[in-house]
Formats: sequence, C-alpha cells, structure tokens
Amino acid sequence: MIRTIVGLAIVLVLAAILITVVDDYTVPSALSGVGELYTQTGVEDTGSVNLVTAVVVAYRGLDTLGEVVVLFSASTAVVLILTLIPIGANPTPPSSIVAFTAGILPGAIILFGIYIITHGHLSPGGGFPGGAVVASAFLLVMLGSNTIPDKSKFLSSIESLAGLTFGLLGFWGMFTLGQFLNNLVIPAGSPGRIISAGIIPLISLAIGAKVASELSGIFSSYRKAGGEE
Amino acid sequence: MSAEYLFYWSMAATGLGLVLIGLWGVLTRKHILRIALAFTLADTGVNLILVWSGFLPNRAAPIIDSSVTTVVDPLPQALVLTSIVIGVAVAALFVVVGVLASRKSGSADIRHMKELRW
Amino acid sequence: MNMSLFAAASIGTGIMMIVAAVAALIVKKLISAIIIVGFVSLSASLLFLLMDAPDVAITEASIGAAISTVIFLWGRGKIGGEQ
Repeated sequence: MIRTIVGLAIVLVLAAILITVVDDYTVPSALSGVGELYTQTGVEDTGSVNLVTAVVVAYRGLDTLGEVVVLFSASTAVVLILTLIPIGANPTPPSSIVAFTAGILPGAIILFGIYIITHGHLSPGGGFPGGAVVASAFLLVMLGSNTIPDKSKFLSSIESLAGLTFGLLGFWGMFTLGQFLNNLVIPAGSPGRIISAGIIPLISLAIGAKVASELSGIFSSYRKAGGEE
Repeated sequence: MSAEYLFYWSMAATGLGLVLIGLWGVLTRKHILRIALAFTLADTGVNLILVWSGFLPNRAAPIIDSSVTTVVDPLPQALVLTSIVIGVAVAALFVVVGVLASRKSGSADIRHMKELRW
Repeated sequence: MNMSLFAAASIGTGIMMIVAAVAALIVKKLISAIIIVGFVSLSASLLFLLMDAPDVAITEASIGAAISTVIFLWGRGKIGGEQ
C-alpha cells in the first residue's frame, strides 16, 4: 500500500514537471533545420521516393549500422543465456488448428515480407518491418510442428553474412566516392522505379535478412528451452 | 478549441499518459513479467511522443510524389523505426533474465529475489 | 478532409489506450494483461497512421503487437501466471 502511494506521488510530480514543460510549446507551422533539408533535397540526393527509408539507410546509415549491432548483442545474449543455463523443455504437441494453419500460411507471409523489404524505397516498409514479418512466418512454422530440425547454425551464418554485406557496401562507398555508406556508387536511376536509389535496396535486403535471422534465432532458442505456449 | 487543436494535442496526451502509467507500473508492480509489460507500455508512449514531435497537421506522409510537396518531418519516424526493433530485443532479454531469476528464487515475486538487494 | 472526424478518432483511440494500459497493470490474470498490452500496441499503430507515419505503423503492428506478445506468452508459460 505504501509502495503504491509513493509510486503515485513520484509519477504525479513527474507529470506536473512535464506539463509545465509542454505548456509553452506552440504548434509549428513549417519544418525547420535538418528535416526541411531532407524533404527538399532527399529525392535528388538518394533517389529514394520514401524519405523515411532514405533517412534510415542513406543519411543516417551509420546510426542504423550501430543499431544493428545493438540488436545483435541483445539476441546473442538471449541465445547465450538459454544455451548455458537450460530451463528445461516440455514440448506440447500443437493443436490441429494451429498445425493446419502453419501448413498453408507461411509461404504467403514470407512472400509478403519479401515484398515489403524490396519495395522499401518506393512505399512504406523497408528492412525492419519486412524482416519482422518474415520472422513471424518462421515463428508460425515452429509453433505448428514439434519435429522440425534445429537450424540455428544456418541462421547464425545468414546473420553474419548480412552484417558483413552491410559493412562492405559501406566501405565500397568510402573507397570509390570517399564517403562511408554513400548510396550513389550505383547510379540512382529514375525515382519511383523498382531498380533505383543506388544501393538502398541492397542494404534493405541485408537489414531484412539480419532482422529476420536474429528474431528467428531468438525464437529457436526459446523453443529449445521449452515449447512456446 | 478547434478540431485541429484537439487532434494535435490528443496524440501528445496519449503518449504522455502511457509513459506515466508505465513508470507507475514499474515502480509498484511485484510480478516480474508485469514489470516487463509496464516497461513495454512506457516504450510505446515514448515512441508516440517522438513521432508526434515531427508531426505537422494538414501535411502528407513523407513519400514524395509529383502531387505531394509538403510532408511531415521524416527524421523522428526513422529514429522510432529503429527504436521499436531495439525495444522488442530488449524485452526478449528482460523476459529471459526474469524467467531465470524466478527459477532461482522459486517465485516470480520480486520481493523474494533477495540476490537483487543491496 | 474532415478534421473533426480525425479528432474524434484520435481522442477515442487515446482514451481507449489509457484505460487499457491501466487495466493491463491492475487486472488479476497475467494472460489478460499480455493480451491487453498487445491491444495497446495495435492501437498505437493506428495513432502512428493518423500521424502520417505509415512506416512506423507497419513496424509497430508486426513487431509490437505480434512478436512481443509471443515473447511474453513464452515467459508466462515458463513462470506461471500467479500474482
């Protein structure tokens, strides 16, 4: 009881501070600074119609490389903990509804995920959501069957290959144009076509493969430590 | 109190409310997975506020077309995109460590996890 | 563009999310709390869509609502849902 009241008091004090901060905030009527620059010159600079993908892959590509490293450390920690300290498996057979659904749906889901990845520079999407969609298809396969073989070695090699591809594409730009992750080492082409925007589609593929294999690796190690509910 | 004003500020209020509720849950709940859930709620609220900070009413999504010239700020959206993926990886690690700690102490109640005290 | 319709949608979704977030923290059964948090994530993806952020909306719907729910369900299966 005392804990609830103290927690509530702390939260209310924080709320009061935040409201006084927000109080003199006015609705902006135009973009300013770097956001304005991106919207004005983004399509000419990168050739990508979708500006969010342009920022993620081209302008802030180095940040994305660091983010991929963070994701890699988190998934490695999960796999390492569950390998070193076994929790104990009690796999239960899937119900017939789940098994039937897992037999027909994953192909379509993987196709949709690949569409999201490869059209990241044209429409909403890109490597991160597409990789998550592909990983959810693998999750459905794992939920639907108790007897699928363990492919974690294969997954980790795909993960390493994707990370290596990302880094090498960055160095390609550095050695030819003098700028790390410059995406115009391939000509930009005409914006709006599927083959355009330099190396943005290739880096999207690398990010998608890395996210999908990392999330699938987490699920696979969960599965070895005990069946999902 | 125009409709546009309400539309704009209700987004910020929702994000702020989720952050405060998540913080309250982290401070007061006792089940370890309940704390992880509250952490996820606060994460969602922070993402909402970040996207809202780049939002301008009456503009289009940042996908440039011949008919679209005024768009919202793409930078916060790009940062939140990576933040969501990191959030789920951190939640996975949180759950694994929580499961191990509850196995070790025999209960999911954080009051029984004496090793965490100092 | 009907602005009052957008305002009604965002206010309704926001109130629903706040109520659901409080409910997720005080409801008795853990499995209900996990499902309610998944619902909050899905509503957040609707708000992202209203804020002209379709990329973030897709990511939140596939990761926040689907994958993190599965992760928490796995943890509940290993720990048990007693409070």
